[in-house]
Amino acid sequence: MTTPSGLPPADQPPLRDGWLVLTASERGASHAASKLPNQDAVVTEPIESGGVVAAVADGHGHWRHVRSARGSRLAVSVGCQVGHELAGLLEDGKSVPADGDDPPDELPTASQVSPVQTSASQIGELVRDLLVPTIVQRWRSAVLADVAAAPFTDQEEDLRQDGDDATIAYGSTLLLAVALRQWLILAQIGDGDMVGVRADGAAVQPVPEDPALDGRYTTSLCGPDASSDFRVAVLDTSQTPLVAMLLATDGYGNAQIMDHWAGAFSADLAELLKERDEHWLASQLPAWAARCASADGSADDTTVALMLAPGLPRSTTLPSVGPSGQAPNVGSEETTVPAVIHADTVPGAQAQAGQGPVEPVTVRLGTAQPTIADPVSAVPEPTEPALIEPEIARTVVARPALAEPTTAGQDPPETTPWQVSR
Amino acid sequence: MTETLMPGGGVARRPLHFIVMADCSGSMKGEKMQALNYALRSMLPHLVAWEQDQLQAQLLIRILAFATVPQWYVQDPVPVADLSRHWRNLEYVPMGRTNMGPAFRAVAESIGPERLERRALRPAILLVTDGLPTDPPGGFEAGLGLLLESVAGRSALRLAVAIGRDASSEPLDRFRSPDVPVLVADGTDEIADRLVTASIAVSRMSEVGADRGALAEQLLQAGPAARGADSPGRPDLEPVRFDDTIL
Repeated sequence: MTTPSGLPPADQPPLRDGWLVLTASERGASHAASKLPNQDAVVTEPIESGGVVAAVADGHGHWRHVRSARGSRLAVSVGCQVGHELAGLLEDGKSVPADGDDPPDELPTASQVSPVQTSASQIGELVRDLLVPTIVQRWRSAVLADVAAAPFTDQEEDLRQDGDDATIAYGSTLLLAVALRQWLILAQIGDGDMVGVRADGAAVQPVPEDPALDGRYTTSLCGPDASSDFRVAVLDTSQTPLVAMLLATDGYGNAQIMDHWAGAFSADLAELLKERDEHWLASQLPAWAARCASADGSADDTTVALMLAPGLPRSTTLPSVGPSGQAPNVGSEETTVPAVIHADTVPGAQAQAGQGPVEPVTVRLGTAQPTIADPVSAVPEPTEPALIEPEIARTVVARPALAEPTTAGQDPPETTPWQVSR
Repeated sequence: MTETLMPGGGVARRPLHFIVMADCSGSMKGEKMQALNYALRSMLPHLVAWEQDQLQAQLLIRILAFATVPQWYVQDPVPVADLSRHWRNLEYVPMGRTNMGPAFRAVAESIGPERLERRALRPAILLVTDGLPTDPPGGFEAGLGLLLESVAGRSALRLAVAIGRDASSEPLDRFRSPDVPVLVADGTDEIADRLVTASIAVSRMSEVGADRGALAEQLLQAGPAARGADSPGRPDLEPVRFDDTIL
């Protein structure tokens, strides 16, 4: 809620005026049991002039993909990099030439482009024709450079399949979100979930499903036609206001009891966001990932990036954030902004030992359980800081705060999905 | 301790649906039916042990008894431990024929769209029979076609146990998964061993990312000792690789 002056009432916390991204990643119990690393990766990066880029990726676990943990890190790195460039392109208010041939090494500069992109469909075209092929091309180049720098060992060669392209060993999914002004630009290859949360609790899933994903096989950046396997969508949040967007590897969704869990997740998160701030969420997110990654859940690596939209109450107890526009060292372990110690290096059991949230309680919120309707009374606010201090992605600023999300009578989302073509 | 509130409906292991299609035709009368019941009872503890030992799946079992017409003996998916505790013997159908087509159709419907959880692992189907299908012309093909047209049926691990070498027929080859051979029990005394082997195959080959080809070689073409069939639980096999691969 905003006052006419745009300032919050004195007795209410200030509203955040930029997107905020919380992330967590946990190695799956089955991976831990078989001494496989966490093959997921996550990166989030602020955009200088406002907005944020977030990417999660899931390296394939099959033995053919012996370097998939590196592949997923390269995927989020490249995804964020290209997403950042796309944001710059859009921010300059320019478009790209319509007659694109092969994907360029770099996205066009503002001087190379022509009229302003004003619609979701035009931006979607840009995403499909430029962002996606550029990601695929750069990821492949990054993989080949990595192989050149560190050739496959004999042991890795033994695991590779005859005739496999080098990139097969690095196979990974990628889920990418670019939030800029009113646009939320989404691109996904492979399994995983992207769930938008509206203030009224409704779930928005703009990216079309891929019927080819059956839980065993997935499309991949290392696939023969990766660009075509991407699914993209552009959401106009001025038409479809969101309070949050979740990006999650399939370890999260595969752990959910409910078949259509996105609706329940969205409804519950919308309720939580009414009473809780990002600090509380940051303390919770690692436990959500850990629960899903545990033997009580999917036992698979689980990585989430929770994007919180502008206009929500801002915590007054957040740890200080870095300067907006500070370019992170994308792609490295350090650039992942985890809310919990990354399970790649510190197994969850050690990270959680004697500290932090344990024995998470899954509670179905909403009307079915009125006792939870008041989350404040149901669950006491933590009285002490989280023991595993969450690091929160930079809050990005400079964009006007979105209007208070409305809850009824909304038009259908303005999206531009592209069906998977094969 | 900081309590955690997690949005959504809660988490659980991924379901693994295991459907046993048991031939209860008239030819199963007597010793074969007794042996089949013994074999099914013997198989369940192995599955219970596997379920307790692994981290990925909750095993849910159903049993379809088929003869002239199919009839669900256990229609709703039940945890395998529950079935093990409350086992009751199957009975043969006097004069019952071995009509497989309607049985395939019943299984196809049970795992059709919206009938399985989206997050469920690939189902496993085990067909145990002592004879050739006796369907009217086209009946076998129509039923099998329905099963294989469904996404779940096509991707399912489909195992067949033939009681008697004559039962290992071309129709069973059409049913089974390409990478797993028909298991043959030459006599009733071998039925239990074959079903235990099949159950180990179901469990191990259903693990996420399992290398089915290698496991089939290890499990189904090796002797009982290599399969670990003498003791419940996981036999001493190569580690299973996890997770998915590309289309």
